[in-house]
Amino acid sequence: MSLVAPAPMGTLRLSIGLRQGRSVATRQFHEGALRVLRPHYLDESGQVCFVMVNPGGAYLGADLFVIDVEVEDGADLLLATQSATKVYRTPGSFAEQRMSVRLGERARLELVPDQLIAYREASYRQGSLYTVSPTSSLVSTEIITPGWSPDGASFRYEEVRLRNEIRVETPGRMGAGAELLALDNLLIRPPLTDVTGMGFMEGFSHLGSLVVVDPRVDQGLADELSVLTAGAGAHTGVSLTRTVAGTTGLILRSLSNSTEVLSALLGSCTALLRTRWTGQAPLNLRKY
Amino acid sequence: MLNTATKSYQLALAQLTDSALPTGAFAHSLGFEPYIERELICNEESFGVWLSAFIAQPLTYSDGLAIRFLYEGSDVGQLDELLSAQLLPRQVREASMKMGGRLLEIGGDVFPSVDLDLYRDLVSTGRAAGHQPLAFAVVARSLGIPLAEALGAYLFATATTLTQNAVRAIPLGQNAGQRLLRHAADDVAAAVESIGHLDVDDFGAVSPGLEISQMRHERQRARMFMS
Repeated sequence: MSLVAPAPMGTLRLSIGLRQGRSVATRQFHEGALRVLRPHYLDESGQVCFVMVNPGGAYLGADLFVIDVEVEDGADLLLATQSATKVYRTPGSFAEQRMSVRLGERARLELVPDQLIAYREASYRQGSLYTVSPTSSLVSTEIITPGWSPDGASFRYEEVRLRNEIRVETPGRMGAGAELLALDNLLIRPPLTDVTGMGFMEGFSHLGSLVVVDPRVDQGLADELSVLTAGAGAHTGVSLTRTVAGTTGLILRSLSNSTEVLSALLGSCTALLRTRWTGQAPLNLRKY
Repeated sequence: MLNTATKSYQLALAQLTDSALPTGAFAHSLGFEPYIERELICNEESFGVWLSAFIAQPLTYSDGLAIRFLYEGSDVGQLDELLSAQLLPRQVREASMKMGGRLLEIGGDVFPSVDLDLYRDLVSTGRAAGHQPLAFAVVARSLGIPLAEALGAYLFATATTLTQNAVRAIPLGQNAGQRLLRHAADDVAAAVESIGHLDVDDFGAVSPGLEISQMRHERQRARMFMS
């Protein structure tokens, strides 16, 4: 690890605002190995869809990627990726993505990246800080694969760390002091512990998760998603976070043996939320 | 080489970590009950695997690290918020608050201190939830119990209660329970060592399998335990 903070390998800053019923980029900046494709509107809802691209195609040792997203009051963003995040060998170092997301009043973000693949001898850290208002709506999905190595064995990477912090801003507690709603910290270190067995991956290879933060989240929704996912061919759990200023988080975690099963399962959950909350059709992301 | 001071805290620590301390710990499996239902935990060996994972993960990264941070001077209110946010499965979060509440009450009665009054006040005014490891840490620190001893005692006490609960639930013989505890002692020693090397970003690192089981317990039909 170097003592001097390196310049980011890629930076992306994106602000989305509401203009005449449609969400548009009000500020957009990218530098280095991160950019977004031309925005799309996938339906008539006014939600804008941006697809993030890493032209280098991969994260390598000591690479730092910084993503800063703001969705202003009432605006609606769908943020996806063009392809899987691939982390290659990072000898003696690690690749890192730092994301900061801020959602205004009644702002909505659907964050649906492709899966993460960490290859042999890769170390990866992803830290995301979400700052939401009590009326914001956040839906985020994630799939982590066991990686791949030339000898066909899985879990040959060094370390994967995904840390999500979700804070709720209230008049008394703004910015960095906003109250913590959920801390979701996943640390997988295959060389140090047997991550495949009971208590960890339970014999499965892929991990999926869904995080929803919205004032409409309640026990009924958690029960419904639990029933919906029960027959999906995965080992799934659903629970609710604490409630802060009237908003609550829902966490769904699922273990399976394939990306396809998990993406179908997570897709069925986001489809239910879309139908119910915004009247939108299920997400169908063609890759541009 | 017992002097009067160490003697006094050792007996207090024995009282605090006695499985007869009425915090209601006998009512919680903290997620092992669904494994019994799925017949993945069915004997001494399989419960031992679960217990090792439980000591190495949640007890290390969540409870243990919270106790260390409190000893190192972190604000009890902030740590309380961190635990409320990190304990994602609802029943486990509620278990920590329920047992924490009882411990705060008992502590206030038998081991009162200024720091404990402060934490109890935060809880009674709704500014904190009152989590078990923090209630324990506040009392233990006020009694002058060194961190390593407090950590070892807390982790082993939790392992003991869970083992007693497993002995009843699986069920296992009493001697099997004692063999499990002997192994748990090694896991606890390793955990205390590793807690000393973790940092803030490590706090609350979860094992997906343990957590999914804790979540699934909410929907288990027939159950002996509240978590």
